[in-house]
Amino acid sequence: MLVTAPLAEFCTLMVDEIYGELPSRIYASLLMRGRSTIQQLAGDTGMNPRQLRHGLALLLQHNLLYYHLDTSSPQYFYEANVENAYNLTRTGKILEMVEESYGAAAKDIMQTIILTGQTRVGDLVDAYQKRIDRVNRVKEALMTEDPFGNGTDSHELNSDISPETKPEPTSPSKKPDLLISSTAQLKSIICRLVDAELLNAVHKTTYESPEDLLATVESDITRTYPGGEVKGNKAKAEYKDKVAEALRNHRNESKSLKRKLEQNGLSAKRRKLYDGAASANGTPDGEMDLGIDLNQVICLNYEKCLVELRNRRLMQFSADVFGTTTSWVYGSLLKLLSKEISRCRDDPIIDHYEKDEERPAPAVVTTAQILDALRTSLDLSSGLGKVDAGQISAAAAEKITEQAPRKKFFIDAQAEVDGDASSDEDDDEEDVKPVVDLNYRPTAINGVNGVNGTHVTNGVNGKVKIEGGERRVDRRTQLRQHLLLLSESTQGFLRHCGVDEWTVDFEPLMGALRQVELDSAIENTAGREGIRLVRMLRAKGKLDEKAIMSVALMRKADMSKKLAEMHKSGFVQTQEVPREAKADVKKSFFLWYFDPDMTLERVLDVAYKTMIHSLQVLDMLREKDHLILSLVKRTDVKGQEDDKLRKTYMEKLSRFLKLERTLLAQIQRVDDLVAVLRDY
Amino acid sequence: MVAPKSEAELTKLGILKDELYETIKEHGSESRTFSQADLKGLGVIPNNDTMMLLNIIQALTNEKLLVGVQLPGGEIGWRWRSREDAKKYTSLPDEATMLVYSEIDQAGQDGVWIRHIKLRTNIQDATLKACIKFLESKGFISSMTNVEMPNRKMYIRADLKPSERATGGPWFTDGELDEAFIKAIESIIFEYIKTHSAYMSRGTSLPQRQPKKGVVTGETRGVKRVATDISNDDATAMPPTAKGVPPPKKKETYLPMPAGYKKYPTVNEITEFIHMQKVSSAMLGVADIQALVDVLVFDGLIEPIKVNNRKGYRVVRPTKQDTMSYAKRQQEREAHPELGETVLGPTSVSSAVTEAPCGRCPVFELCQEGGPVAPSTCVYFQEWLGLTEKPIVANGTAPP
Repeated sequence: MLVTAPLAEFCTLMVDEIYGELPSRIYASLLMRGRSTIQQLAGDTGMNPRQLRHGLALLLQHNLLYYHLDTSSPQYFYEANVENAYNLTRTGKILEMVEESYGAAAKDIMQTIILTGQTRVGDLVDAYQKRIDRVNRVKEALMTEDPFGNGTDSHELNSDISPETKPEPTSPSKKPDLLISSTAQLKSIICRLVDAELLNAVHKTTYESPEDLLATVESDITRTYPGGEVKGNKAKAEYKDKVAEALRNHRNESKSLKRKLEQNGLSAKRRKLYDGAASANGTPDGEMDLGIDLNQVICLNYEKCLVELRNRRLMQFSADVFGTTTSWVYGSLLKLLSKEISRCRDDPIIDHYEKDEERPAPAVVTTAQILDALRTSLDLSSGLGKVDAGQISAAAAEKITEQAPRKKFFIDAQAEVDGDASSDEDDDEEDVKPVVDLNYRPTAINGVNGVNGTHVTNGVNGKVKIEGGERRVDRRTQLRQHLLLLSESTQGFLRHCGVDEWTVDFEPLMGALRQVELDSAIENTAGREGIRLVRMLRAKGKLDEKAIMSVALMRKADMSKKLAEMHKSGFVQTQEVPREAKADVKKSFFLWYFDPDMTLERVLDVAYKTMIHSLQVLDMLREKDHLILSLVKRTDVKGQEDDKLRKTYMEKLSRFLKLERTLLAQIQRVDDLVAVLRDY
Repeated sequence: MVAPKSEAELTKLGILKDELYETIKEHGSESRTFSQADLKGLGVIPNNDTMMLLNIIQALTNEKLLVGVQLPGGEIGWRWRSREDAKKYTSLPDEATMLVYSEIDQAGQDGVWIRHIKLRTNIQDATLKACIKFLESKGFISSMTNVEMPNRKMYIRADLKPSERATGGPWFTDGELDEAFIKAIESIIFEYIKTHSAYMSRGTSLPQRQPKKGVVTGETRGVKRVATDISNDDATAMPPTAKGVPPPKKKETYLPMPAGYKKYPTVNEITEFIHMQKVSSAMLGVADIQALVDVLVFDGLIEPIKVNNRKGYRVVRPTKQDTMSYAKRQQEREAHPELGETVLGPTSVSSAVTEAPCGRCPVFELCQEGGPVAPSTCVYFQEWLGLTEKPIVANGTAPP
């Protein structure tokens, strides 16, 4: 990740916001000066060694630092881990995601791990045991008064419904602590999270920065060559492969815990879970303990969290393009697919394979798997238009694309369609055999026509048809309809890569999504005419004003104004081409063009700065209301603000909290954009 | 030049002249150039007498019925001119006016720039102006504008229409881009594509059941599971507050067509539709409509989609489209002119950076903590957070 000044500033502010000033000052110094020893830090920050040690320990605890011990020097070098610092912004989103996919109990554990940083499993178990004991004692005391508080079972079921909609607990004994009712349950949830790769084992290279690791590995491998030098093309290729493999091994070390659990019979556990009920009521279950090592230190794996967050974003994207029903199908598919995906983007060095055959094949899911994973409450008959079977080309719909698309495939939808015309040989109807008969609504042939009719006839027909044999359609066929729609899309949501096999080419798809995000940023700044010009330049390359005018059908004055405006905001660029050797400005051509990379950098920059400014405004608001805020912090007021505070103060407090929520939510929104542009 | 000798010969010449002229007319349009050999080949002149041919040509040229043109090889060729046009020439008072008129005549539909006339004819400014004025008053020529060079003063024969290149095609009216016309046709095309590439659902189907959050039972979440693990009992899954609230509301919405749909409208179909509707007196060709469709694509309202080598267009984000019919919307607009112009398609996806004040800030580059403009004192942020009104109201209504 390229660390720009605004990004560095934002990370510092974020550390300050969450962990306070001491670590943030150390962090700022590390970002500004690069890697430093503790002495250098002392000189730069003017702190005494004790303060520094505290600060560094905290930063290390939360995985915000790298350190490196050079063999030639006795000193440890510390370096800022910008990625993790930035990921602090996403804490809320990650917790929400965990809750949605793994339940409230898992979220509770995740939250604890995020709050404490890296944690020994044993410590976690102890902490939860204490909590459980305390609550149990309280509950026993209250048992006689509370007819509903019959143990953990009922609560366990309740807690699985998302807490926003959960009815207010009627008795004081039902505290959220009860999400985890036993250490066995705790351990089994940890196992599950490890299995999902959301939790990682901390190992000896966790704290090595990628550059250091690369340097170490490279020097190790170079040493095996004669004379310590890599000579010749073949040897160089081999060397590259070796480095990549060594780095992959290091990376896989964080999965050691998962592998160990698998050996201990994680799959057996999975099997057992098929009869759900036994584990659902949270009875202490000795067998669930897969012998997770209590001394193992675990931490959050942001890479995998990002994959899951990306799935959510893609689901939103598909909902925007095709509607909710299709997006739920897509969501289930992505969830299945991402089990095999550990990170959003491949590293150019680590994931380098000299031969294409060695590259791991992209993950594939089958229709049957998706059908199994789909929620039964999802009505697949909705969300798609209904037309005669005769109006559907089964061959076109069922076309199987075995190869991943070429790069730059999605730069421009029009170019793509045009390009297809030349390269397609397999469009003949006979060539592709439809696997499933697309005549999925046999009763509708008698003139139900959602296309040729006007609105009125359209509607009337629709009514008749819906009362007809709609339900007869097999669910699997309906599912396939949605999948085929997704794979037909110009954005490339899905690829039909084999008979009933589906895969997603994330790179071009994310390119399409990035384009959508950039376009919306441009459209909201420069209006629809602005985005028209940008899309045009993207499709056609460099154009001079006259050409632009004729294609865009805009008045010259309007167009020049719009282009100048966008040039100022950095969305379009110009190039001067002299007509003759003696470059005369008056006679030169001025070509306009759109540079997606430059625009992306520009929008990212604005995004970082927006987040910085939001935090600064928040600081200002805190400063303004510091009297009330300090009041609220008092231990005798905390938790009982309603009773203890005067009405005017209460109003001010709630207003401040509302503003704080607004600003933090805005930062989250901007982060969504940053994630799409930079991380996914 | 040999003068005709006798009365009889003159009459003969007259007859031959007329005959040659008529024959030439039969052999080609006004733009065809006849060389001397071509004229001989017509077989009008007895014995193919070159002398006589030249005499006749001379006579025709004098009457302005033939125009001499230089052929590429240095030879001279001729084109014929209709009698009415020739009459115009002969009615002109002097040589200069005739020269000017011939320049304008030759330029045809493209028209000619006044400076070019001057350059070619070598006539003085004052004379040229007088000539132009005279021709204009006679109704022989008229001024025109060229969209490519709108500042040039151009003239064209009054009975000709400026060419497409000069007018810029059907999208220009009087040399100006006719934006209202473009918008109108655009919205018709968009409406056509929208209604023909997406399925209009009346929402009368079974009440749509939305998937709910967190219905999976207990421990099975997050691992591979069979479908039976999911409770599909809506009653227990839905929170009591939300349950029963949505009565199956008839909400109209557009839905995407299934994959492989063969009837997405193509440009040819759209053009045909526009012709059938008779929306415009101007002839809109396929290329013109294609230009408008391209603009709609660039606007991000529609996308090209290819099914079996048939390139059609479909609307993007169908479920977000406005379902009100075109006619109804037009009526509404007429009833409420204050609503302003209709914007085609759904509102754009909002972008996180432009929601916050920073994305739209005019002094964004200057803004820095400690600078002249700083986030902590930012008025735009205050406004955005809804903080500005309060102080103003407080100041304004503060009791003394």
